[in-house]
Amino acid sequence: MDFPYYPINDFGPLMKGMVIGGVGIVHVFLAQFAIGGGILLCVFQWLAMTGRSKLAREFVDGYFRWLVLISFVLGALTGVAIWLTTIQISPRTIGLMVQEFHWLWATEWTFFCLEVGSGYAFYRYGPRLPDRTRLGLLMSYSFASWMSLFWINGILSWQLTPAQWLEDHTVWSGFFNPSFWPSLIFRTITALAEAGLFACLVINLVKAWTRAEKKEMLHRAFYFLAPMAAMPLVGFWYFAVVPDDSRRWVMGESVAMTMFMMLGVGTSLLIGCYAVFMIFNRRNFISAMTSLLLIALAMGATAGGEFVREGMRKPYTVRNVLYCNSVTEEEIARLRIEGCAIHDPYPLKDAAEIPTEQLRLGAKVYRLQCSICHTVDGANGILGLTRTWTPGQMRLNIAQLQRTKPFMPPFAGTAQELEALVQWLAWREAESPATWETSDRPEVLRQIQAHLDEVGTVSGLELMHNKLGDGKSAKAAQSQP
Amino acid sequence: MYPFDYPTQTVFYLVLYGATLVLHVLPMNYVLAGSTYLAFLGVWEALRGPALAQRPIVEVLRDWMPFALGVTITAAVAPLLFLQILYQRPFYTANLLLFHRWMAILPVLIAAFYLLYLQKSKRWHHFSAWVRAVVSVGILCCFAFVAWSFTENHLLSTRGQEVWTEVYGSNRWFYRDPELMPRLTVWYVGAFPVLAAALIAQFWSTGFVRRDENAAPDPVTDPAIRTLAVLALGGLVASVFAGGGYFVFLEEPIRQRLTARDVWPYLAGATLGIIVQAVIWRRVWQRAWIDGRTLTFLCLAVVGAVGSATALREARRTSTIDLNQYASMHVTASIVGGLGTFLLFLFVCTGALIAVVVAVRRGLIAGSQPPIE
Repeated sequence: MDFPYYPINDFGPLMKGMVIGGVGIVHVFLAQFAIGGGILLCVFQWLAMTGRSKLAREFVDGYFRWLVLISFVLGALTGVAIWLTTIQISPRTIGLMVQEFHWLWATEWTFFCLEVGSGYAFYRYGPRLPDRTRLGLLMSYSFASWMSLFWINGILSWQLTPAQWLEDHTVWSGFFNPSFWPSLIFRTITALAEAGLFACLVINLVKAWTRAEKKEMLHRAFYFLAPMAAMPLVGFWYFAVVPDDSRRWVMGESVAMTMFMMLGVGTSLLIGCYAVFMIFNRRNFISAMTSLLLIALAMGATAGGEFVREGMRKPYTVRNVLYCNSVTEEEIARLRIEGCAIHDPYPLKDAAEIPTEQLRLGAKVYRLQCSICHTVDGANGILGLTRTWTPGQMRLNIAQLQRTKPFMPPFAGTAQELEALVQWLAWREAESPATWETSDRPEVLRQIQAHLDEVGTVSGLELMHNKLGDGKSAKAAQSQP
Repeated sequence: MYPFDYPTQTVFYLVLYGATLVLHVLPMNYVLAGSTYLAFLGVWEALRGPALAQRPIVEVLRDWMPFALGVTITAAVAPLLFLQILYQRPFYTANLLLFHRWMAILPVLIAAFYLLYLQKSKRWHHFSAWVRAVVSVGILCCFAFVAWSFTENHLLSTRGQEVWTEVYGSNRWFYRDPELMPRLTVWYVGAFPVLAAALIAQFWSTGFVRRDENAAPDPVTDPAIRTLAVLALGGLVASVFAGGGYFVFLEEPIRQRLTARDVWPYLAGATLGIIVQAVIWRRVWQRAWIDGRTLTFLCLAVVGAVGSATALREARRTSTIDLNQYASMHVTASIVGGLGTFLLFLFVCTGALIAVVVAVRRGLIAGSQPPIE
């Protein structure tokens, strides 16, 4: 069978989603700082050129140095890190994304080049250049950095709402998908707010300025948080276009998702309140420590938002195409006949410690199908989740995984493999004894097969839609949000 | 002629990969050889005191290395993208097999990047010679680790399922391939002529180097230029020996592949590039000046040699990875839309970059004029 097997790594007690999430959040935060920072600098340069602010020119040079040191180094390398980490976690997902969108990614690269070229030119020569040239360089830099957001946003939002692309597979219907515009606008607003908060910190770090001068600049910086007023509207727009099931999870059906959503909303609200406080009362001042605290809150908001965005895609990494355990919808039916683990060429690293062939098969099934979202007994540990289940319940719940939890993919293997997984879980729960009886009773396998056949290979989301009685398949519902 | 006997779509992506890889290799060589030079000088100065003759080279390197690293990383994005179209499964597999070891290149690069900025800072000269030496050697170690990791990854990707299965089961952190050191040596020593050419071009553009024989000899400039000539000639000679040694070391089928008729143009290109560079550098060493036309030939020779070496590198890889087995993926990739958009913005952004350079030059000239009262 032509199934692409990759060596799967064990991240120990860390859930793989936490690793990619951690890298992703840091990168998104830094990238947004760079994008918003570019726009902010253009405005301050214009303030300097038009005589509206005597300090703006000095501020622009100081801020840009921070931008280069943070964004050009950490931002750029966490961008590479997110790519390499995605390969570590789901090579098929990144492979599919590259396959479908490599020209748009290459287009994004042309803007990276412009961003780096303009940015370094300003960093190096900016203080010695006339104002017009400075503004030109800053505009070039900020346009390029915003365009890099434009391109990557289309690819990322496609993962959740591929919509028309599922029918015609054309790059533009995938790129300009339903969540493209709300997502782009939301991220742009976030970028502006982040840039404003970083500006507050930089202003406070200038030793030569008096408190009054700093206050004047701080108030100017806080105007960049004003677009946050549009966030609720754009947020509603976003949730209006995402699939119904994703929205339900965020709106209460999944407590974890709702909590992260509330984290994002709550921290944004706090920052927003502070912005109102600063914009409308010109006597107020904000210290470096408060700026840092607000930046930390913004980081929390980004973390909440990114967690929700990633979590909403479950059980897919590309909706209706690729499940999060790197099996496509089409492959499940075949794997139920041919088996998922028997062709896996990669040995178990702890094979010598596993006493029977069946348990070794079970360990491989866990590695292939479960380990992407679960650990054995760490974060989201599978032993903890199944501890109270009886063997019969375990067989039923795993065979009908998409019914057990609609955000889980259907089981993609044979009845023998499922029983092997059940036995391996029981063996691990029993603290891995040296001997273990092989379970090969035909009636058990027949029962598992009956469970598997009963639910078929349909996804949990489709089951949900059918149950809700809207008469639409998940695909159709998603393509017409 | 290699690689034009592959299916059209495969050739298309191979050519794109090769072209963008050259764009990455040139600044990468600057960084690798430049960090070696600074580390060597750092230790030398700690042991023997200031090396005044080397100061112009050191100052330029310290000033430009962060930018060069930024360009190297940015330029790596495009070949990394096309690599995933061409060799998706072997590339991903090697990444996964090396796991933590491979991912370690990222914190190492971040550390090196910040150390480069430290090296560029005004505070640098306040540190003692030994601290400077340790930092410079540390930066070199970081880049050497990254270069080693890339070579390790590349070789592992070419080895096939049997080796991958064995490596996965072994729980080893390092993949010890006998080809690793010879291959790494070729790339490492080959970086020095590129660095020397880039530095002399930088000196030339700032008017630091004499441009004709009529200009009076300069006690600061001339030794620095001769140092570059020695660096380049040494690198070229070492490249020839390292390349020869690597070739002898390779297994017979690979050697046959690399000497097949369809690869000759690249062997000839690399050889010609090396010879032209050697001739030019010898003249530079004798005269300590270079005119614009010769500098252009030198740069073309460098690009030619690097381009040919890149093609030979790919011929080596395709001697063990059968690219035809991925041809259907290349066909699938080639029919997705967006190529026109890429070409359009490639044109637009290249134009914008040229405009940036022109604007900065004009701006600097305007900025240097006394204000009109």
